[in-house]
Amino acid sequence: MTKILIVDDEASIRMLYREEFQDDGYEVIEAEDGHKLTERIGQDEPDIIVLDIKMAAYDGLDLLQEIRQQFQDLPVIISSAYGAYKGDYKTLAADYYVVKSSDLSELKQKVRKALEGKVPTKKGK
Amino acid sequence: MQAEKTNGGAKGPKIEVLDWIEENPQKVQQADIIVGIPSFNEADCIPFVAEQAAIGLKTYFKDYRSVLINCDNHSEDQTREAFLSVETDIPKIYLSTPAGVKGKGNNFRNLFRKAVDLGAQAIVVVDADLRSITPRWIKNLGEPLFQDYGYVAPIYIRHKYDGTITNHIAYPLSRALYGRRMRQPIGGDFGFSGAMAQRYLEGQLWDDYVALFGIDIWMTTLAINSPYPTAQAFLGAPKIHRAKDPASSLGPMFRHVISTFFRLMEAFDQSWSQVRWSKPTPIFGFGLGETEMPPPVNVDEEKLYRGFVDGFKENVQIYEKTLTGDVYRKTKEIAGLSYDQFELPPALWAKIVYDFALGFHLSVVPRDELIRAFVPLYFGRTGSYVRTTQGMELRVVEDYIEEQCLVFEETKPYLVDRWEASKG
Repeated sequence: MTKILIVDDEASIRMLYREEFQDDGYEVIEAEDGHKLTERIGQDEPDIIVLDIKMAAYDGLDLLQEIRQQFQDLPVIISSAYGAYKGDYKTLAADYYVVKSSDLSELKQKVRKALEGKVPTKKGK
Repeated sequence: MQAEKTNGGAKGPKIEVLDWIEENPQKVQQADIIVGIPSFNEADCIPFVAEQAAIGLKTYFKDYRSVLINCDNHSEDQTREAFLSVETDIPKIYLSTPAGVKGKGNNFRNLFRKAVDLGAQAIVVVDADLRSITPRWIKNLGEPLFQDYGYVAPIYIRHKYDGTITNHIAYPLSRALYGRRMRQPIGGDFGFSGAMAQRYLEGQLWDDYVALFGIDIWMTTLAINSPYPTAQAFLGAPKIHRAKDPASSLGPMFRHVISTFFRLMEAFDQSWSQVRWSKPTPIFGFGLGETEMPPPVNVDEEKLYRGFVDGFKENVQIYEKTLTGDVYRKTKEIAGLSYDQFELPPALWAKIVYDFALGFHLSVVPRDELIRAFVPLYFGRTGSYVRTTQGMELRVVEDYIEEQCLVFEETKPYLVDRWEASKG
């Protein structure tokens, strides 16, 4: 079963995503912030991450950099309430950027697309 | 000039070995990191670039043996003297192709050989005409190479009308084909590892166009298709160099880059035909604070439109042979629109590019003629893009380019199906 890690400090968002993605047959795991996130990724081995940007104690774009350094080909989708971050070059390190909405069709489509992407993983990273 | 002629000491290069001219006043025999500066008649600009590079090496790589190398095309404007007279503790080597041998790629070939000779671990290359380079560029392009990465491409802020070949062909096509998002695949400023230099020196798929402006896309494509991980470096400052109006001055560069690109597609078709969608590439070098905005680039929109419309009429027979029926009909319709109405949208553009790649592969007309006939359509797309993005901020334009890339990715099965069918 495909495992999604939701990283978001809003419990209501995590709950919405959990229910929707579980209904679609995904296994959902959650993190309420970025604390020891890369360690957690190493342990739980998610297939994809949905990452918020503006969290109380963490900046999602910094977390994205950390993730990318250690897990080059792990799909990461930024899910933010703010479209303006799209102009930040750091977001280029994400697979896709989706502005939060109660309609999750775009997010789900991007999750499917990111999981379909086939790029051979290179040595060392 | 105390020049020494040698064939270099690299072992077994498969590419043709040219004579080179070398001046190595400090007799450098080994280096860990090299900054290479390719040039042709850059006496005015090269001292600044060399100074910034030297500061970068001294500041960020002080524990490494470093050297600056100017790889020149036998400039006649005293580029050599300008480079060698730069005051710095970092040793310098001047390399040149023999008189009459031109081409950026030939300069790089000399650099590959010298890098292998010196046993360098990391090689950073920066254009000689840069006006915005800072020492941080050397750090950001060089550091990942000491962390297992084989190739580092730049990310910088560019004016929305600078880098039009990149925005409309090189980036969307490279990304859709090979599945790796590298925002500036022909940016001109790169880093590569010693292992990658050795691989380049082996000269896989080298040809006359690679020896000229095809070198950047050749290096990037080989790196993406190599076993070594690739990265990008955010350089903060915009790329300020001699930007060119795409309507008037990109002819040879277009021909060399696109011919090389299409030829590499043939060589790597087993790889790209299996790739669906794309993945981001790690980015190093953030934390530079506010980034500057690039200076304006003037584009003659009407000249682009005229180049498209007139070029369509001149090349109509080639388009009939190269474009599929529907794509041909739509393009012809657009070429008949008035200046005020014309628009060549991304969805059609992606199919045009794919049709031309296949037409090149099948040699539906002589390849040079095909590439020449591609130029007016590129003008059409560029003119349409200029019109659409005129009032947009850079951030919004980046979104627009991202959308165009997604169109290339979504349209890719059109290419794959036709390419496979052409095998009979």
